[in-house]
Amino acid sequence: MAAAHAHAVGDAEYAEVSGHRLLGFLFFLISDCVIFGNFIFSYLYLRNAAPVWPPVGIERPYLYLAAVNSIVLFGSGATMHYAMEGMRHDRRSQFVAYTIATIVLGSMFLGGQAYEYTHLLPHTTWAGTTFGASFYTLTGLHGFHVFIGVIFLIVVLLQTLRGTYTQERHFGLTAATLYWHFVDVIWVALFFLFYIY
Amino acid sequence: MSVTEVGLPASSHIHPPPDTFIKKYVFSLDHKVIAVQYFITAGLFLVFAGLLAELMRVQLMGPNNHVLSVAVFNQAYSLHGTAMVWLVGIPIVTGAFGNLIMPVQIGARDVAFPWLNMLSFWMLPVAGILVFASLLFGAPQAGWTEYPPVSLQLPLGESLSLWCAGVFVIGVSSTITGLNFLVTIVKMRAPGMTYTRMPLFVWATGVTAFLSMIATANLSAALAGLFIQHNFGVPFYDVTRGGAPVLWQHVFWFYSHPAVYILILPAFGIVSEVIPTFVRRPIFGYKAIAYSSAAIGLLSFMVWAHHMFTSGLQHWEQLFFMIFTMIIAVPTGVKIFSWVTTLWRGKIRLDTPLLFVLGFLSVFTLGGITGVMLASVPADAQEHASYFVVAHIHYVLFGGTILGIFAGLYYWWPKMTGRMLDERLGKWHFWLTYIFFNLTFLPMHWVGLLGMPRRVATYDPAYAGTNFFVSISSFVLAAAILIFIYNAYRSVRHGELAGPNPWGARTLEWMIPSPMPYYNFRDIPIVLSGPYDYGKPLPYANISQDLAMTPVR
Repeated sequence: MAAAHAHAVGDAEYAEVSGHRLLGFLFFLISDCVIFGNFIFSYLYLRNAAPVWPPVGIERPYLYLAAVNSIVLFGSGATMHYAMEGMRHDRRSQFVAYTIATIVLGSMFLGGQAYEYTHLLPHTTWAGTTFGASFYTLTGLHGFHVFIGVIFLIVVLLQTLRGTYTQERHFGLTAATLYWHFVDVIWVALFFLFYIY
Repeated sequence: MSVTEVGLPASSHIHPPPDTFIKKYVFSLDHKVIAVQYFITAGLFLVFAGLLAELMRVQLMGPNNHVLSVAVFNQAYSLHGTAMVWLVGIPIVTGAFGNLIMPVQIGARDVAFPWLNMLSFWMLPVAGILVFASLLFGAPQAGWTEYPPVSLQLPLGESLSLWCAGVFVIGVSSTITGLNFLVTIVKMRAPGMTYTRMPLFVWATGVTAFLSMIATANLSAALAGLFIQHNFGVPFYDVTRGGAPVLWQHVFWFYSHPAVYILILPAFGIVSEVIPTFVRRPIFGYKAIAYSSAAIGLLSFMVWAHHMFTSGLQHWEQLFFMIFTMIIAVPTGVKIFSWVTTLWRGKIRLDTPLLFVLGFLSVFTLGGITGVMLASVPADAQEHASYFVVAHIHYVLFGGTILGIFAGLYYWWPKMTGRMLDERLGKWHFWLTYIFFNLTFLPMHWVGLLGMPRRVATYDPAYAGTNFFVSISSFVLAAAILIFIYNAYRSVRHGELAGPNPWGARTLEWMIPSPMPYYNFRDIPIVLSGPYDYGKPLPYANISQDLAMTPVR
């Protein structure tokens, strides 16, 4: 039904409406960036104001798991790219395989993050210190974005299997891809700020 | 001229209008209906918030009155500020005027995302209910800025959560509206409508939309921070656990200073539309006004800490923010000079919209000057948190935004309803508002300079006479709005029919019938030059010639 409706509009109208949606989606990502920016500013402000960092009794987060997790997430960015390449060249099976890979990698990242929260930071709580407040708020917000991204990918994958998107008409896929890469880029900043800096 | 020849947008075909009551008036996707919904909802909140102000003035009629308890007084000023900024000012200037006029002025049939537009509107009543419902639990008492630690110390129960949630909802609504308007302006202008042919109201709305999108997203994050601090004890702002109350001031004002430009830029846009129409000359300095809007938009992100000069900033920070705050007066001054120069030797017709604009020019300039005074760090150290600040903010937000809103309402009322407002009642409304506005807020400068602090329920008897006078004036000021309400009621019932172009204006909204038909334009117009060249032929092709007529009066 959705597919039938999508093809009821002409190519020119689809291109025009997709153009509006693409710009709107980019604006949404910019405003989302501002939200991360706000909490990053708060983190740096509180860190700068603190006499010692991290606060006494708080362990630094464990670098190696986060490094592996980063590789997993960046790898998912690569698989997402190959998935879209498949769609652009009308290789449906390539799209499906790489999208499933992206979903699996994204879920692995979330699993790694859950393990970190529950096992690796026994003394760091959300409400305990400014470090915990910044760390859990920012990485949690990012994890929530990854979760939404995974859901987004599952939805567009199912839509693709039902034939909603074609080589020429796949704005939903473009949006999902942009969102996924956006979440990747945010992670670069968070990884640097919490695990290296 | 055929439509396809000039490459019109493919989506320009006309859908049939909705036929059920719910789709037409409740969950409408039509930008014009949504605009009216905004006017009515925000107008109701204006009455509530105005009554809170009058309650405060009753309390302040004497130095030690017991009309309100101190706690209720604190709740009244907190909710008055909250409601006036977020539930009244911003929804009216962006949601109502932006929706009513902007799409038509660029020659579009609707905004880019009508469904999101409807969603934005329906967040407003939800936010209003959340904010006013906090009264039932004892509303927050730390002012509309809700500075920690005070906002966190008091036994607030659920109310701070409700307040955060309400403002968060209206913030998201504002972000969505900004995004929607920006895409509309970038993507949906009629053929020939280049950026430098856009009406100045569209320029103002575009810059406002940018500010709404960027700054308001930041507000959402800041409120989330306050919310989790309040509910889960996450110590962002708790100084006893390494947090920083000043951090809240930074993140709050990083939104809230751009927000005052969200409130005033559309009013600037309205003024820029009204002046050339009632002076019958091209606006002086079109590009200067347009680009100064953009300059104000950018500079507004570099001045936020001038609200925090007494909060313990570094000296270099104070200097930085003082200088940029003074610089932002320059593009504002460019606008004032351009408007005054347009008026100079014009064929001035003193109808109600122009009266409100002249009122705006005179009092907003005063508010701007006290703004520069407050920007000066040594002066601000004396004036901070005094009634001088209260006077300043009301000169720019009442004298600027509210007078601008009324100018716009009198100007576009015929376009919105198809009927004229009564001129005689309009002039009564204007003069009573203008005189009693000044009688209410001008004396506040003096008691402020003498040292009366703001946000107090009782005060030194030395200020009693002035405060009594201010209170009486404020009652008349509030009563003056009844004239407008009566005028509006009378106009809708049996006002004189307006015709498409009662003021003889030249922007696109006046080229279509009043009230505006569903889908605005039968054919998308083609724009040949800018909108303010009075004395030249109309710069549009592809519009019905019978509508591009001369004024009826």
